[in-house]
Amino acid sequence: MEVELSGTEENWGVLLAAAQAGDAEAYRQFLHAILPFLRSVARARTRGDELAEDVVQDALLTLHRVRHTYEPGRPVKPWLAAIAARRAIDAMRRRGRQTSREVHDPGAYETFAGEQANAGEAGEAKEELARRMGELTPKQKEALELVKLKEMSLVEASAESGQSVASLKVNIHRAMKKLRLGQSRDEGG
Amino acid sequence: MSEGTDRLIDRLAADARPVRVLAPPLRRALLLLAFMGAVALVAILTMGDMDMLRARYSGREWMMFAETAAMLATGALAVTGAFFLSIPGRSRRWLAAPLPAAVLWIALSGMGCWRDLVRHGSDGWSLGHSSDCLLFILGVSAAFGIPLFWRLSRSAPIDPLRVALLAGLGTAAMAAFLLQFFHPLAVTFMDLGVHIAAILIVIGAASLLRGRMLARAEA
Repeated sequence: MEVELSGTEENWGVLLAAAQAGDAEAYRQFLHAILPFLRSVARARTRGDELAEDVVQDALLTLHRVRHTYEPGRPVKPWLAAIAARRAIDAMRRRGRQTSREVHDPGAYETFAGEQANAGEAGEAKEELARRMGELTPKQKEALELVKLKEMSLVEASAESGQSVASLKVNIHRAMKKLRLGQSRDEGG
Repeated sequence: MSEGTDRLIDRLAADARPVRVLAPPLRRALLLLAFMGAVALVAILTMGDMDMLRARYSGREWMMFAETAAMLATGALAVTGAFFLSIPGRSRRWLAAPLPAAVLWIALSGMGCWRDLVRHGSDGWSLGHSSDCLLFILGVSAAFGIPLFWRLSRSAPIDPLRVALLAGLGTAAMAAFLLQFFHPLAVTFMDLGVHIAAILIVIGAASLLRGRMLARAEA
């Protein structure tokens, strides 16, 4: 579909309507054209936070899932802004919950100065971690590896693994819980 | 531009299969309301007791019309609002749309209860058929709620809580409207309290189950 990418809202509506009909090229053009708008909403909602790009990606995924709810002929911006704003609110809440659970403890990183001083404990900890990792399901292990070890964004990990963003979140949460529970059992016993 | 975002756009574009565009929310709401209305009409004609209703409101028919209309308006506006709020970017004012009618409904019911309390003294506080009313409202709300939530789930709402709140209020108000035609006695303050509790239970249940009930049913 040949539509000039001038970035006007009217063109966005035409491109999105074509995308709804299955035009992949129009859809790609539309998604690229709306990025600056999505980023401005995401930055405003997250106060310029580094979360903004995650919010943009999350909004793109949501938009893809609900693209059938856009009514051709209606303004696109309010529809887009509502999706981006919603995902920004969710991201900020998620981060708020994480921050309230995590405590800054500089002492936790202190160790003995000698190179070999912690070797024994480190070895035991490594074995213990390997054992606990063995208790995770393959999907939990995959989610943890992609997001926490390879530091991929949820969206990238979703593309890599085929798991949805929501499943990744659940699997990471459960994996971390299992690992933490193992730790507290050991400390308690 | 972030590489991840670029890759994501390519992936989404590759998945641009045609989708069935939803009809405007007002049309979808009216269709559902027509379905609910047809079910209610059949139930009233086959099982309702109009004589009992007239006897309860004898001498103050205006009250009967006003109270019943307020219930119906609350239900219709809440259901319509739920359809609008299930679409991204539609006015949030829909959340408040049923409130004036709901306030009028509770106020008129309260006036009726007060009148009975003055007439019958302490009997005006008695528990009439409250447990039956509670079950009636819960049962009819569930029956109306299933098709409503099914239709709402088609839009995969991005803010399911607001949609569920309105949908819960809509089904409960419709159930209360239908109850008008089956309520054997005048409503006492205790009955009114039970009715309000039943409505709150329905709204609470709808909110709690929103994730499951509004998860998109693939077309």
